[in-house]
Amino acid sequence: MIPACALAALPRGEAFRLDTVEPPIAVFHTDDGELYAVDDTCTHQDASLADGWLEGCEVECPLHASRFDLRTGHADGPPAKLPVRTHGVVVEDGTVYVVPSDLPPNLPPGARARTV
Amino acid sequence: MTTSSLPPSVIATLPGGHYTDENIFALEQARVFESMWVCVVRAADLAKPGAFKTVQVGRESVLVTRARDNSIRAFLNVCRHRGARIKAEECGEVKRAFQCPYHAWTYDLEGKLIAAPNLTKMPDIDRVEYGLINVHVREWLGYVWVNLADDPTPFEEEVQGQVVERLGDLDSIHNYDVANLGLARRTVYDVKSNWKLIVENFMECYHCATIHPELTEVIPEFAEGLATQLSVGHGAEFGEDIEGFTVDGSAGADRIDGVSEDQNRRYYGLTVRPLVFINLVPDHVILHRMFPLAVDRTVVECDWLFRKDVVDSGRDLDSSIELFHRVNVQDFEACERTQLGMGSRAYARGGVLVPSEHHIGGFHEWVLDRLGTTLA
Repeated sequence: MIPACALAALPRGEAFRLDTVEPPIAVFHTDDGELYAVDDTCTHQDASLADGWLEGCEVECPLHASRFDLRTGHADGPPAKLPVRTHGVVVEDGTVYVVPSDLPPNLPPGARARTV
Repeated sequence: MTTSSLPPSVIATLPGGHYTDENIFALEQARVFESMWVCVVRAADLAKPGAFKTVQVGRESVLVTRARDNSIRAFLNVCRHRGARIKAEECGEVKRAFQCPYHAWTYDLEGKLIAAPNLTKMPDIDRVEYGLINVHVREWLGYVWVNLADDPTPFEEEVQGQVVERLGDLDSIHNYDVANLGLARRTVYDVKSNWKLIVENFMECYHCATIHPELTEVIPEFAEGLATQLSVGHGAEFGEDIEGFTVDGSAGADRIDGVSEDQNRRYYGLTVRPLVFINLVPDHVILHRMFPLAVDRTVVECDWLFRKDVVDSGRDLDSSIELFHRVNVQDFEACERTQLGMGSRAYARGGVLVPSEHHIGGFHEWVLDRLGTTLA
């Protein structure tokens, strides 16, 4: 379990980019008050999903507009084809923790080499 | 012939080269259009956040948009990465960001860089520093005015000052409530003429009796050839049997509420240097914006604005609009005809201004002063 940020520092509609892990993880606080964590890097090209647009339970990549479902990680359509990994989120004593997935990430070509 | 040998009745114009020389035009782009307040877009044309228009100001393409907070923003239409033009379209709407089509550098509606491929690997790229370059913006009379200078002359001094110089005060124009009028018609004229010929033409009425039969019918004093702009606060009176500012003198639309009794049945024309003309009549306002695209080509966008309830009622405004549309066509034909002579050796030293045109000499001095040049 990795501490990400204080819950108070992550208002609804916002994202937090946890960059102390490789690959970085994005934590989203939806307008409905749900918390989700997925890999921050779009599976199509190296872009930060935390910089994207959060709508409901989906985040739209800021570069090429593929939308990822934060619950499943699935992309709604091209150019991204592969899903992002989803991670567990736990809140304890006002702190948001991420429970990283043990599956291999689906990183885009440029970002892949850096994770080795 | 030198200036000193001119007969006392006339004064010299600019030499023909000032209307044909690419180098002089380049200087005008830098020292006039890119250094002064220019009226570019009607604010209501940017209906909601993300709506945008691109306009040419001097040598620059400018992207004008409405941000999330409904404020108007304007940027140089150039990606900070490799310089590609962000938006090639004249107008359109983005949902929430401007994205360069080349490498997908993405900017929010305030111009800040929000995303780019591999951007998170370059934390030293400041997102504001590498945002789109803002230009100064001001909204007045329902229009967006931009100024590309680093340190612009205050709008009040440069733009409103000219209106006060012409009308005596700002109330006189605010009476027409221009910002809250509705757009009934917009006509874009692509004029094969130097911008200065269009300004000079608007400043004088020596030509009125010859080329504007309908206008001089409505405003008989124009047939005398005297410019309406010559005396502060003067409005040219409609003819006695004229009911409205229409092509046939028939009644116009409902009067704009704030128009005073003094302003009723009168026409006021204003030149707002460098690129705007404003025409005020009791029931509508006609506003011209010029976009000089080349030394011999100027696009003029002309808006006809009436009370919103008049526009919304769908009533036929053709007879009102037709009058100044004809004036425009007549004027621009004359300007194109004049442009043809500008490169002739017959006009190498220019022509002459008759007494009712002498004030155009002031415009020429103003242009030369802006360019930092004098006539050889």
